[in-house]
Amino acid sequence: MEFPRHIRRVIVVAVASVSLAIVPVAASASAAAVSTGWIRLAHLSPNTPAVDVYLYSFGDSSAQLVLRHVGYGDVSPYEAVTAGEYTVAMRAAGASAATKPVLSASVDVVAGDAFTVAGLGPESALRLQVLRDDLRTPPDKALVRVIQASLHEHLVTVSYGGTVLAASLAFGSVSSYQPVSAPAAPVRIEAVGVDVASSVTLAAGSVHTLVVLDKANGVTVDNLLDAAGSAVAPAGGVGTGLGGAAPRGPASPLPWVAVIVAGALIALAGRLRLRRLPRPRT
Amino acid sequence: MKAFAGRPAAGFALAVGLAAVAVGGTGLILTRHWVTPRYPAAAVLRVPAGPAVARPGPVAAPVALTIPAIGVRTALIRLGLTTSGALQVPPSASIAGWYTGSPRPGAIGPAIIAGHIDSYLGPGIFYHLSELAPGDRLFVRRADGTLAVFRVTAVRSYPKDHFPTHSVYGATPDRELRLITCGGTFDPSLRSYLSNVVVYASEIT
Repeated sequence: MEFPRHIRRVIVVAVASVSLAIVPVAASASAAAVSTGWIRLAHLSPNTPAVDVYLYSFGDSSAQLVLRHVGYGDVSPYEAVTAGEYTVAMRAAGASAATKPVLSASVDVVAGDAFTVAGLGPESALRLQVLRDDLRTPPDKALVRVIQASLHEHLVTVSYGGTVLAASLAFGSVSSYQPVSAPAAPVRIEAVGVDVASSVTLAAGSVHTLVVLDKANGVTVDNLLDAAGSAVAPAGGVGTGLGGAAPRGPASPLPWVAVIVAGALIALAGRLRLRRLPRPRT
Repeated sequence: MKAFAGRPAAGFALAVGLAAVAVGGTGLILTRHWVTPRYPAAAVLRVPAGPAVARPGPVAAPVALTIPAIGVRTALIRLGLTTSGALQVPPSASIAGWYTGSPRPGAIGPAIIAGHIDSYLGPGIFYHLSELAPGDRLFVRRADGTLAVFRVTAVRSYPKDHFPTHSVYGATPDRELRLITCGGTFDPSLRSYLSNVVVYASEIT
């Protein structure tokens, strides 16, 4: 089919503006929910003094977040950040932000994912390690991993109830996540000459990190809640509507209006006829 | 005689005509939706006041939800799962409920609150939920009187047969809230809407 040129132009403009109107709406709706990730910072090096921890968006010289005087065993809450490249820098507590950091690491924060950046190891070999935190729990189970941050005990075995979470885990290392199903059980830390037990709760649908820490005389365990969700995820969609306010296309008011109009006409005709006819005498 | 014979007929026509007008009018009224629910109250609904605490550790159970932007104020009942494993829904369309298997609002993780878009007769408590926009505030009152304040981050609609279980119910590292209702096309043969509307929100700290 051949259109004259000006009509073709109108059609092109109309199609273009409609698609322009539709596309950005769809794009912004999907971007809003998935463009953030999470990051948290931890100091897990027993003989390293307190530090100031800086979080920079990559290429930006002013810090997005500064945590001051972070000591051994401190773990920050998660910070929701726009997905992208970040730099974490550690300076001695109180040092000027202009000084060269003692350590720094870069993190690629993926939308919808969580990361822990931890100072690990002894002070002499301190490193910043980027850990990816799991957010997907198997059905009806919790996920748990172990960070071994005790210098007193170089190798520890950590178990939860009957499950060994980490066997002979070396100082400064991190186990991978393991699914567990018991909601509450004793955690045991075994090392040479040490056997510590304490009870923790690992609810189904939640993700935990157990940190083995030095304390004054021995070791202790810190139970971090990385993430939580529903213990049992409901199946499928949700039946939250019965249709009483649903738009009903075909049920137009016209039939009813027709009945009203016809009734009015019939009534009018009857009334006129009644007027014209003489009243019967009785 | 003939002239008189027309009178009952004319009277009958008058009566039938008036009856038809009455039936038509009633039908018209019953099949319309005079949708003027709580929405107009939005302008006068007060923002809840109280100690708004986003604190670590245990939080109390939720008892009420206020959404000033769409004029919603409702008590919260407790919801569990049906025998088939689906999320229970409130028995009344005029009240919302919190899923007890989800985190409490203000605790780590996504708390789940569901409410009806409508009943058989008309709009329900979440009739205007899909009109919320990122930035709108949600207020949850807890049993101890404290308030958790959330900010809407996204409003999404999903076909019920492709419900994103992980994004709605899955673990999150921060304190979030999800509001769920129905939306999309209503299928009269199933007596069910074909989609769910989910509002995503994060706690303001």
